[in-house]
Amino acid sequence: MTSAAAANLKNPVMIEARGVEKWYPNGFQALRGVDLTVHQGEVVVIMGPSGSGKSTFIRTFNALEDFQKGSIVVDGMPLSNDVRNIDAIRREVGMVFQQFNLFPHLTVLDNLTLAPTLVRQRPKREVEKQALELLERVGIHEQARKYPGQLSGGQQQRVAIARSLCMEPRIMLFDEPTSALDPEMVQEVLEVMQELASDGITMVVVTHEVRFARKVASRVVLMADGQVVEEAPPEQFFTNPQHERSRQFLSQIA
Amino acid sequence: MTSTSATPTRPAPLHRLGRTLKSELFATPLDGVITLVLVGFLLAVGTALVRWVLFQAQWAVIQTNTTLFAVGRYPIEQQWRLWLLTVLIAAASGLSWGLLRGKGSWPRNDQLAAGILIALAVIGSWALKLELPIQCRWWAITGVLLLVRWASGRWGHTLPATLLKLVPLIWPVLYLVGMVLISGGLGLMRVPPGEWGGLLLTLLEASFAILLCFPLGILLALGRRSELPLLRWGSVLYIEFIRGAPLITLLFLGQNILGFLLPGGLAPDRVWRAAWVLTFFAAAYVAEAVRSGLVALPPGQLEAARSLGLPMHQALIHVVLPQALRVALPATVGQFITLLQDTTLLSLIGLLDLLGTARAVMANPEFLGKNAEVYLVLAVLFWCCCAALGLGSRALETRLNPLAPSKA
Repeated sequence: MTSAAAANLKNPVMIEARGVEKWYPNGFQALRGVDLTVHQGEVVVIMGPSGSGKSTFIRTFNALEDFQKGSIVVDGMPLSNDVRNIDAIRREVGMVFQQFNLFPHLTVLDNLTLAPTLVRQRPKREVEKQALELLERVGIHEQARKYPGQLSGGQQQRVAIARSLCMEPRIMLFDEPTSALDPEMVQEVLEVMQELASDGITMVVVTHEVRFARKVASRVVLMADGQVVEEAPPEQFFTNPQHERSRQFLSQIA
Repeated sequence: MTSTSATPTRPAPLHRLGRTLKSELFATPLDGVITLVLVGFLLAVGTALVRWVLFQAQWAVIQTNTTLFAVGRYPIEQQWRLWLLTVLIAAASGLSWGLLRGKGSWPRNDQLAAGILIALAVIGSWALKLELPIQCRWWAITGVLLLVRWASGRWGHTLPATLLKLVPLIWPVLYLVGMVLISGGLGLMRVPPGEWGGLLLTLLEASFAILLCFPLGILLALGRRSELPLLRWGSVLYIEFIRGAPLITLLFLGQNILGFLLPGGLAPDRVWRAAWVLTFFAAAYVAEAVRSGLVALPPGQLEAARSLGLPMHQALIHVVLPQALRVALPATVGQFITLLQDTTLLSLIGLLDLLGTARAVMANPEFLGKNAEVYLVLAVLFWCCCAALGLGSRALETRLNPLAPSKA
């Protein structure tokens, strides 16, 4: 595990965030100079108490949130206010949301094919074939013609993952993907994510699932009050945390 | 519970009806008294109305002026053009529904609409005591329209579903064809707007405004939620200014000011000036209806679309608007119905729409004191038009709801 993680560090850098600071219009500072480097093939898990800025932080990677200071480079493209640049980055970065955010007026299959046909302008037939394969991979291909409202939460989240994968992204962001799920559905989503990780896709995951972090993460990052408190391999983070704030957080979620 | 109807005990349904009546209308002695009083009242009013319509009312005012009420002073030898247009509209609506409804039986709302049309042809021609040949012509026309609609519906039903995309195109094209048929040109004799009147003018003004205020309203609603301050404040200013002024003021303003503002010849005809004022007026209200749909949409929908790499306009067209418009549909159609009724204000600026024609007819010494007859016919005509809009929109609502596609 550790040797694999170390090998990843030699891979090219996929996300490089330096000194990111963000203020909300009401003056509240959500991010206070956050640094993070993610290499290709790494699975970085970000943990932290609510309000610590972890969701805000990963949402800056695909410009769903803006920031006022610092710099972020995604897959070699610096994030700027240029709209074309932002769209180019979003094509390479998939995102899975806490609330799934499937399009309720489209069938499951159309949810998957919408972006590839419109944005990548690939032929519909070819995209549908790929979409059905992806749905099979996440275990719901027999629901392809149904509408999202007819599926369970866990199924919806797996569709959301497949929808992002259909754009063939180089990076996947997960924003608390299991927090809105009933307990018995958490596992099926985590299994899909674990399989993705073993396929070597670069992932940044905001989650509270300790077991997932222990098993899958290359690194765990603890954020609190808009700052990175500790960054360590999972074994070290969970068994021997270096900072008082980390110990406090771990005792709260244990 | 559902098995009661299947069991061989025949009198069950009747028995159940009796029980329902008892529990709904005669549950307590007081309920019974209220029921009896109300039923008596309704019966009295109903019989009085029927007796008046059949025996007391003098329908000569309608019989003599049928054409005037229908099309105003539209030249009689050119009226085939309007009939052709009516048939085309029936065909287009049949085709649209045939394509829209996909699989399934004849929608109930459509049955209702057909029923109203038949009732109007039969009861209307009978109650108005039209002469037999004219009665026959009414029935024949109704029959032809229903037949055309049914046939095009069947045909649309068999067409491949990919043609569904053409539905929003059918209507603007039909509108252009209709304009040529009505006003002439392309080899047809010109009929200037001054000669359009009655129901024709009312429907023309209303459909023009409905067709144009809808896209305009969507743009205004999007503008009001835009992040660009100029666009946002422009939209807010426009919407609030229009909503703050009574329509009649704007109509008078339109008639008077457009003539000053635009150099001679460029200012549209009085009929079109009024149509544009109606359009701009309704757009402000439609914008607010659409905005309610936009507000109701969770922000995650736009975020998800954008994070998949869709540029803003595609995210709006494929994700945001289809959902927002479905929410806004009932309020929007309510606005359309109001708009249709607002066209009666045109009579106040001197146009001969349905109400304007009616006022002109009632001012004729020959028909003095026949207001009740005229207003009753007007009310029925307006009710039919609004009912058609309402039924159509509710069917569309059910059809657009992906989780209940079969109930339309």
